[in-house]
Amino acid sequence: MAAAALRDQLTALLSSMFTQGLVDEQFQQLQMLQDEGGTPGFVSEVVTLFCDDADRIINEIASLLEQPVVNFDKVDAYVHQLKGSSASVGAQKVKFTCMQFRQFCQDKSREGCLMALAVVRNDFYDLRNKFQTMLQLEQQIQAYDPKQQ
Amino acid sequence: MQIMARRMIRVLLVEDEEINRVVARAALKAAMTGDGGDDDDGHVLDEAENGEVAVQRVRAAASAAPYDLILMDRQMPAMDGHEATRRIRAMGVTTPIVAVSSDGLPADVEAFIGAGADDFTSKPLTKEKLGNILSKFRLA
Repeated sequence: MAAAALRDQLTALLSSMFTQGLVDEQFQQLQMLQDEGGTPGFVSEVVTLFCDDADRIINEIASLLEQPVVNFDKVDAYVHQLKGSSASVGAQKVKFTCMQFRQFCQDKSREGCLMALAVVRNDFYDLRNKFQTMLQLEQQIQAYDPKQQ
Repeated sequence: MQIMARRMIRVLLVEDEEINRVVARAALKAAMTGDGGDDDDGHVLDEAENGEVAVQRVRAAASAAPYDLILMDRQMPAMDGHEATRRIRAMGVTTPIVAVSSDGLPADVEAFIGAGADDFTSKPLTKEKLGNILSKFRLA
């Protein structure tokens, strides 16, 4: 595929991520910091850190919620951590779900927490797929024109 | 013509999450240079991954090259931001401390200010927020 077509595909993907509310202006801020700062790979670094963190945190929460006696303070601390990581990358939908999730933690509702976990996991997997496609497209574009970075 | 030497600003970022440190690092660089593209941007950034390390860093720097600004997260392992702020103030350090947290509820802000912080800003740190902080404390 020609570089121009790949760029169009990337633009359309990013646009749909904003339209669907998956990412917010913070993600734009990261792209701006990369472009203005001349730091190629910055967005990729932050996205990769987020995906690794979120995956680990979601697994930790799932494991805590499987315990016979749930430590809701610990669950809440993990959700707080995920909310912070989401805010840093601009993962708006995951961040909003975390805010609702924390309410279930405060209410000490296992059922509510399990429901929120399913939603946050789904939101995260959806976003991670899009981020992976975005990074692949950027790599393909870069392969056409290494000076682009 | 008098040439003024640009003062090097020393900042301590206290934050346990790597992703937040990476983003704050880039945003601070951009805020210091205006566009983020200048390598000689006039600041030195030290980082501490929890409150305990922050207190050690502040103590070590106090006599030689004290910090001009401390950006303090709240929830951290080993020692949280409230306790670290209290201990830094107990050492007699007057460096501006800006609390940084994703919880912007009035109670959170009051707790940080009560511990000795000068200001509070919400996460994530951005170029604009840091620019405002630098201006407020006359560091820009």
